[in-house]
Amino acid sequence: MTTQTAIFRIDSVTKSYGGVKALDAVTLEAGVNEYLSLLGPSGSGKTTLLRVIAGFEVPDSGRVFFQGRDITNLPAHERGIGFVFQNFALFPHLTVRQNIAFGMANGAVLVSSEETAHRTQTIIDMVGLTGMEDRGVDQISGGQRQRVALARTLVMQPKLVLLDEPLGALDANLRGRMRNELRAIRERMGVTFLHVTGSETEALAMGDSVVVLDRGRIIQRGAPDDVYSTPASPDVAHFLNRFNLFEGTLSGGTFTGPFGSVVAAKVTRAPRDVYAIRYDRLRVSPLSASATGPALKATYIANEYLGSSVMNFFETADGKVVEVEHHLSLGAPETFEPRQDYLLTWAPEQAIVFGREGK
Amino acid sequence: MSDVTVAAKRQGPSWLILPGIVWMALFMVVPIAMICYVSFWTQTTFNISSTPTLASWKQFFSSDTYTGALWTTVRIWLIVLATTFIIGYPTALFVGLFVKSKTLSTVLLVVCVIPFWTSFLIRVLAWRPMLGKEGAINIILLKLHIISQPIEVLLFTELSVIIGMSQIYCVFMVGPIAFMLGRIDRNIIEAARDLGAGFGRIFWKIIFPLSLPGVVVGAIFVSVMVLGEFATSGALSGRKVNLLGNIIVTQVGSLKWAMASVTGVILTVFMGMVIAGFLRIVDLKQEL
Repeated sequence: MTTQTAIFRIDSVTKSYGGVKALDAVTLEAGVNEYLSLLGPSGSGKTTLLRVIAGFEVPDSGRVFFQGRDITNLPAHERGIGFVFQNFALFPHLTVRQNIAFGMANGAVLVSSEETAHRTQTIIDMVGLTGMEDRGVDQISGGQRQRVALARTLVMQPKLVLLDEPLGALDANLRGRMRNELRAIRERMGVTFLHVTGSETEALAMGDSVVVLDRGRIIQRGAPDDVYSTPASPDVAHFLNRFNLFEGTLSGGTFTGPFGSVVAAKVTRAPRDVYAIRYDRLRVSPLSASATGPALKATYIANEYLGSSVMNFFETADGKVVEVEHHLSLGAPETFEPRQDYLLTWAPEQAIVFGREGK
Repeated sequence: MSDVTVAAKRQGPSWLILPGIVWMALFMVVPIAMICYVSFWTQTTFNISSTPTLASWKQFFSSDTYTGALWTTVRIWLIVLATTFIIGYPTALFVGLFVKSKTLSTVLLVVCVIPFWTSFLIRVLAWRPMLGKEGAINIILLKLHIISQPIEVLLFTELSVIIGMSQIYCVFMVGPIAFMLGRIDRNIIEAARDLGAGFGRIFWKIIFPLSLPGVVVGAIFVSVMVLGEFATSGALSGRKVNLLGNIIVTQVGSLKWAMASVTGVILTVFMGMVIAGFLRIVDLKQEL
């Protein structure tokens, strides 16, 4: 991606709060008409990053560029960057229509009242709020408030919209529907979305590319399937919440962990030695079975029914919980006896090995 | 759960209101009814009888002293209301909105209340050595050569009453406004900024409307207290400023119960109109 097509770029931005670095020399850019999701645990600095781009926080060092212009010192209300808050932050004393028209009626750029009315009505129809125009914002449902927040931002026709966990306040059912709508609306408007989320499924489902943030640093950026199948570090694998991680030592291409020694075909360079196996790559056999590959003895504890799959929980001798996912499309799940020992096996080439020896 | 306890639970809330009803009846409804009744009694110099007459009412509205006191009360009330608002709102804005730390804003509000740790009379009388002809303000201004003659208008005038009342009642304006401002979600203000609004626009379109219930509550507090005032005007005006409250005190002092009642009824009705007027501005039920 070149600077010409980048809609925004932040250049080694650092921001500390009382000595703690919320952002540590973060550099990030996004292209025109792109959906970027930003994944990170709470406290990883993802909200701070959005607030720096929006202009609510001034970075300690580093620059922020928007449409090729340095906006680091430009006040928030002159930036023309949209921001959708997690709690929606609707104006409680105004109606749906007044909320949506607020930016055009009070903004830095004057918009004629006819155009304001026209644009307001167009966006109201687009986000599906027709008939709600004159309701107060406390008289509509959570999903409708989300739409008002989105419409209020999009009606200003920003080139970049920052969304701070926009679906966090919605229930699961609504969240799924709004995901699709959010994507559809973005495609229709042709704007760049920077969507912050703490949910790995949301990040993978929504973004054209996923940026993983941890302790104020970007630790991976890539297409969702790349991030999912080849996490760049044990931390990324951990945030994706899809991997069993085993600590151990890697030496001479052999990883020694709680399951014995396994030859590691390919090693990803990382500051510590970790062996990662996806939940759905593990197979459960009776203790008596003979394993051809690596095997780990573990006690079955319980399972959790997830609709399309079943998650089985096992405990190893050293007290570590190992999760095994069984997709129901692959047939009915086996039943296991609680407190019984089983053998967990996997194909070694499906594991991801991180280590200091990696390239 | 048995039927008896269920019934008892339903009954519970309704009898709980009884002490409140008794209290209000004894100390509000009965006294007000009594004042209304007494205002129509016949008053002679040394005697009062329950023979109904309009004499006291006629006397009130035909005497310059009484109608003058009514207009002085209204004038001073409006001026004090305006000054407490003009001084109080920016203070509340600072304490409730600009101070980011909740602890600091609580500390600042407590600081506003500290003067109330001394008695009301001391607070009022303390203005005398401040405002007097040889008081602190005149001495300082003379020393700084800003004035060559002491300003005499400072004490024992309507001005001194206004200064005194504004100081005493300002905090009742600051408190409710600061409370409402403190409840405003900071994200709302940021959202308005993000939509392109500058501070002035945000203030008039978002902050002020959202603080209006606080302004109304503060204005009701100040109004009720100023309209019923008699001590500040007595102590700081040298009896030159007579409010309705002062009239009541003098009338009661000379056992003119009928006249005192007329004044009391007029004052109560006026206060009721003022409060009703303020409550029309915002729907407090919705806000609190």
